[in-house]
Amino acid sequence: MKHLFASRSHNKPPFLAESFTMPRSVILSTMILQMKQSYARNMFQFCLIANPILNTILLYEMFRNSGQENFASYVVLGSGLMAIWGCICFSSAGDINRERNIGTLRVIFAAPAGFPAIIVGKILGNTLLSLVSLLISQITATVLYQAPLALISPGYFCIAMIALVVSFVVISSILACLLTLSRRTTLYMNCIEIPFILLCGFSFPIEILPSWLQTISRCLSPTWAVELLRMSVDGVTDSSLFWHKLEILAILSALYTLFAAWLYHVMDRRIRIHASLEVS
Amino acid sequence: MEPIIEVKDLYRSYTTYRGSLRKQKITVEAVRGISFSVQPGEIFGLLGQNGAGKTTTIKMLITLLAPTSGTCRVLGYDTFGQEKYIRPRINFIFGGESGVYRRLSARDNLRYFANLYRLDPKERERRIDEILELVDLTDRADNLQETYSKGMTQRLQIARGLINDPEVIFMDEPTVGLDPLGAHMLRQVIRRLRDQGKTVLLTTHYLPEAEELCDRMVILNQGKIVATGTPAQIKGDAATLEDAYLNLIQKGETP
Repeated sequence: MKHLFASRSHNKPPFLAESFTMPRSVILSTMILQMKQSYARNMFQFCLIANPILNTILLYEMFRNSGQENFASYVVLGSGLMAIWGCICFSSAGDINRERNIGTLRVIFAAPAGFPAIIVGKILGNTLLSLVSLLISQITATVLYQAPLALISPGYFCIAMIALVVSFVVISSILACLLTLSRRTTLYMNCIEIPFILLCGFSFPIEILPSWLQTISRCLSPTWAVELLRMSVDGVTDSSLFWHKLEILAILSALYTLFAAWLYHVMDRRIRIHASLEVS
Repeated sequence: MEPIIEVKDLYRSYTTYRGSLRKQKITVEAVRGISFSVQPGEIFGLLGQNGAGKTTTIKMLITLLAPTSGTCRVLGYDTFGQEKYIRPRINFIFGGESGVYRRLSARDNLRYFANLYRLDPKERERRIDEILELVDLTDRADNLQETYSKGMTQRLQIARGLINDPEVIFMDEPTVGLDPLGAHMLRQVIRRLRDQGKTVLLTTHYLPEAEELCDRMVILNQGKIVATGTPAQIKGDAATLEDAYLNLIQKGETP
């Protein structure tokens, strides 16, 4: 049977081509919406503000008799990174459940902008907002322990920060796809928080982990971003090592992106076949 | 004229598992081989009891669910596999208070959803003002949704469903929870959409509303079609559409 609109089935209309090739405005608007929504929640405010303060106190007390001198890279960065990851876990993962419960998940899932662009916007919003945690950690360390603001290589630090955001966005995209498949997101987001903190070496060097665990750590993109951040805070003495680690992170991020794209296609089919998108 | 919505021998079942050690597979057939078509510009009704398969059918048509088997096409495209050609040109409104962000104003909600439909910024603002006026929310447009009454939230949901000026609109019990004034407003919106040549597929429990609005309708019972035609054809010799409906459901007649 010939359909009224069948002529369009193989030729993508121009407005559609635009829709699928330029999702930047969608990412940006979702990012802003996410920041507004996240900051309005008490749980996020706790993760963003109280968590880095408490983490800084905890890590300082653990660190002060360790004989180490690089206070900034372990106490300030460590507590800040733990808080950032907490924000990402409890907001990005929790958001899927929240969207599911308020009935907006089906709306954004079926929107022509594309679910991946919306997910990236949400993760980017949470990640950028949660960077405030690093600042709060530094302020806490300065006020309570008179820790100086130590940043030996600011240029490398900026690069490392971008690498950190990218590494969190790509790994969170994979987690978001996996969490969209399931309705047990609350359980999983609690399960992933601490293991990542330990494996990615947020608060201690991964070299102290058993070698088989270090292999897993090396496969996680945030591990490399954290190492870059530490190098830049302590001072980059070997720039070729910095660039080498950045290269590895770039390759890992590219692989994660490909995996996330494949996972999205699997998720897109599965949730429509198994009807797991919504609360039934 | 070629149909804008085409459903042929459509099946959808849900499978769940019970138990932890010995898992027992439970399959529920929500839609069992239904067929119907909707012409451009029609207001088409899907009527039936709770659990008749209306919402499952709508979810397949709006690309949220995959059919188990059969044909499910909108605007000439398969809803599973060719959804990217359908999504920009349709929209949907579900009854109740879900589907909008509580911590955003009506205007910000609509701005965000307009972005998801890639509306041009100038066109977006014009469209938002027009729709807010249509659903009578202009005065409260900048208040947070969490301060809205149930009826206002539902009107906001209707506005969201119209944001992209869709060619086909799916409405799943849109008047549930609306006060008489709100329900009247929605009926006017539906008529206006028809005047603009839009196609509306609507489910409702409120039979007088279906009779008043729908050009044609099907009645579903336990996942199967038990009657199809214009309201007058379905009513037949019965005094009211409700009497005819009750007879069909109780007898479980098949066409």
